[in-house]
Amino acid sequence: MAEKKKTTAKKTEAKKETKHEAPAKQETKKQAPAPVGSTTKQEARIGVFICHCGTNIAGSMDIPAVQEYAKTIPNVAYVDNYKYMCSMPGQGVINKAIKEQKLTGVVVAACSPRLHEPTFRTATKEGGLNPFRFEMANIREQNSWVHMHDQEGSTEKAKDAIRIAVAKASLLQDLFPKAVQVEHAAMVVGAGVAGMQAALDLANAGIKTYLVESTPSIGGRMSQLDKTFPTLDCSQCILTPKMVDVGRAPNIELMTYSEVDAVEGYIGNFDVTIRKKARGVITMAEGEARGIVGGGCNGCGDCEVVCPVVKPNEFEVGMKPRKAIYINHPQVVPLLYTIDFNSCIKCGLCVTSCGEKKAIDLEAKDEFVKVKVGTAILATGFDIFPVEKKTEWGYKKYENVVTSLEFERLICASGPTGGHLIRPSDGETPKKVAFVLCAGSRDNTGNGKPYCSRFCCMYSLKHAHQIIEKIPGCIPYLFYMDIRSFGKMYEEFYYRIQDEGGKFIRGRVANILEDPATKNLHVYADDTLLNRPVDMEVDLVVLAAAVQPMEDTNRTRKLFGVSCSMDGWLLEAHPKLNPCGTTTAGVFLAGVCQGPKDIPDTVASAEGAASAASIPIHKGEVELEPYFAMCIEERCAGCGMCVNLCPFSALALVEKEGRKVMQVTEAKCKGCGTCGGFCPGGAIWMNHFATPQIVAQIDAFLLGGEQ
Amino acid sequence: MVRTKGYPEALEKKLHDQRYYSEDSNPEFTKNVKGISRTIAHMCYQCGTCTGSCPSAPRSTYRIRKFMRRAVLGLENESLTDPDLWLCTTCYSCTDRCPRDIAPTDVIMAMRNLAFKRDIIPVNFLKTVQAIYSSGHGVPNNDVNRAARERLGLTRDPPTTHMYPEYMPGIRKIIDHYKLKANADRIVKEREG
Repeated sequence: MAEKKKTTAKKTEAKKETKHEAPAKQETKKQAPAPVGSTTKQEARIGVFICHCGTNIAGSMDIPAVQEYAKTIPNVAYVDNYKYMCSMPGQGVINKAIKEQKLTGVVVAACSPRLHEPTFRTATKEGGLNPFRFEMANIREQNSWVHMHDQEGSTEKAKDAIRIAVAKASLLQDLFPKAVQVEHAAMVVGAGVAGMQAALDLANAGIKTYLVESTPSIGGRMSQLDKTFPTLDCSQCILTPKMVDVGRAPNIELMTYSEVDAVEGYIGNFDVTIRKKARGVITMAEGEARGIVGGGCNGCGDCEVVCPVVKPNEFEVGMKPRKAIYINHPQVVPLLYTIDFNSCIKCGLCVTSCGEKKAIDLEAKDEFVKVKVGTAILATGFDIFPVEKKTEWGYKKYENVVTSLEFERLICASGPTGGHLIRPSDGETPKKVAFVLCAGSRDNTGNGKPYCSRFCCMYSLKHAHQIIEKIPGCIPYLFYMDIRSFGKMYEEFYYRIQDEGGKFIRGRVANILEDPATKNLHVYADDTLLNRPVDMEVDLVVLAAAVQPMEDTNRTRKLFGVSCSMDGWLLEAHPKLNPCGTTTAGVFLAGVCQGPKDIPDTVASAEGAASAASIPIHKGEVELEPYFAMCIEERCAGCGMCVNLCPFSALALVEKEGRKVMQVTEAKCKGCGTCGGFCPGGAIWMNHFATPQIVAQIDAFLLGGEQ
Repeated sequence: MVRTKGYPEALEKKLHDQRYYSEDSNPEFTKNVKGISRTIAHMCYQCGTCTGSCPSAPRSTYRIRKFMRRAVLGLENESLTDPDLWLCTTCYSCTDRCPRDIAPTDVIMAMRNLAFKRDIIPVNFLKTVQAIYSSGHGVPNNDVNRAARERLGLTRDPPTTHMYPEYMPGIRKIIDHYKLKANADRIVKEREG
């Protein structure tokens, strides 16, 4: 019933005596046909085309019965069916019928308009009609698929859907999409490997790109990693050239320690406000601009030496100290210090030691910058799931239980221990290390993540390799449920680690207890392959923690009007056929913000997003769906209620012939109908969803086709 | 369905056909277990967290994971006739930790219910029923306990049916309603004469 209602609200019936038919071929490109009252004498002639979709539809309903019924619907001039309406011959059937039967409107009863509305609009256009004279009746997703075992019911429902669609098609008008100019610039939010790759691709394609990063340096998660699987490249070695390229690219305007504060506009013309967080340190360029000769931060680090405030370094997951004025690691881009104003005591020692460079400004305030871009890419990345929530594994309770990200820093030559893996409790070198896979992933308890985090299996294999390589005699025990080595050369890597001496125990870790005297850990699990419980005493436990979206992702996505799925990952337009796009035109997704990905997949997705984001920019203009609202000025009382209701700020009151009337900025209007539904005077005409069209649909449904 | 090859007894036992067959699997059993246990018994992915958490597993042949597997596959006879079914202490550690949010303990309880319908139950469980029927306690108080309680400054009997025997008829009424005592007496008599 709910589906029926939905259909009713969208489609319409035609046995109203008034015909809102505009001339089939209107020449004026400027204005869509005049709204109310522009009835024409032309008789509606609707063609109905029923798709079998193989057996998807034909298998669940009586197509001949539906076809016979359709012939009896008022205004229907022609009915046909075909095995696959979307195929070239199927489209040919529509094309031919429009010409031979002199149709004024087309109804295709098939799948969801999300899938094939564009296809059939094109077919309608090729037949010589305005493409907006096409209406779709969904008899697959909302009918045959859900009523697979009710042949009779689905046949009747298909008849209803077609009758309702014909009602609307009889009243459809010619519409002409608006073209808007696209700003020759793009924005990328997040400068991890995804954001950097997307920005480099856009910049190399000749597009001015604003790269916005909330932390002081670019590089993201990948810069925290020691090595990458399965090639064992040093992560920094392959990433820093890209970081340097980003820093140098003339087309990239890098905005680190900055956040998107507000977004207005639409595809082609996004006005984005960036908050540049108070950094307290000026660049050399800014120094020059302020007339300080040789001034600005050159990264010498004299300030850091004298700063008396010590804080944990976030980049080293808190395992190394930093000062209140800091860079997180030696390879930061840009090489520019940052003051943590939450801990700075403003003693002024850094200002003194900086001296003539005058790079430090302890009174700095947040600044707001406005930029205009045509398209935007979100690449906001991921964070580690707070695995201490799974209390049975003792993270943050037992010193020698660490996360995989902490392990990366501990094994990394530039990390807090210079690459010597140690037990946090006593600094000893571990001889037995347990890896807990799916630590918080594949967990339906509500106290974990239901999805697979996808790259933990592979990096745990890599961790096993690293300890075998670095610590002679050290044995890695990997407690796993399944080893998901899905990528190119990944299964081969699994083979290699087993050959090198990694011990794989198929069983999820039930709990971990610490021996208080030695701080060793007892790992309890079921060796499911041996069918025996195991108590494994180890020196160190590494939890391959699940991943989750960054905390700020939700705020950012709302600014850009992007949806997210139940688990918080940003929602793509189509999981298979449009994985980089979103439901907001002009906004794209790159990397892990869309769902867990390893580095190769992240880079591929970033290149895909950059390519998609560059298309409208290179085309120079985009067509907007002509579903905007229009004001019927003689009915408008100028009350202005609609102006306040519009969620897209598309409406305004203007003076015309001595009185106030509403005016629509068509490019901003999304056709949501909020104003049209509210207007007390009925003065707003919603193109393609006009009141007479919707009323006709409701009548068609309620009256069951009776006159 | 025993398929052997006619070896001497000890060897024959070892050389039993170890396979299970599609006819061993009863989908109704999975449904019944789900219905009684009120948990998603068919969703187990065999990670072993339950057995790893089980206090019984390290010191017995009881493997809760094995019963979960049998529930998924509907291996009814194998589940109900395995004496290990009665080694669960119902501590609920597995239920606390199961990542699929299943309650394995309740699956065991459901299987015990179904086994009892076929008179499959160890006598000690029936003796517990009889003890509760006569005293309100599975493990009634005794003189050693009473002395210990006195030393600790407690009453000789706890504030239960031991102290308030007037509540015993109510308890017996509940047990009788389910014919638990009658069935227990009958089975004990059959087994012990």
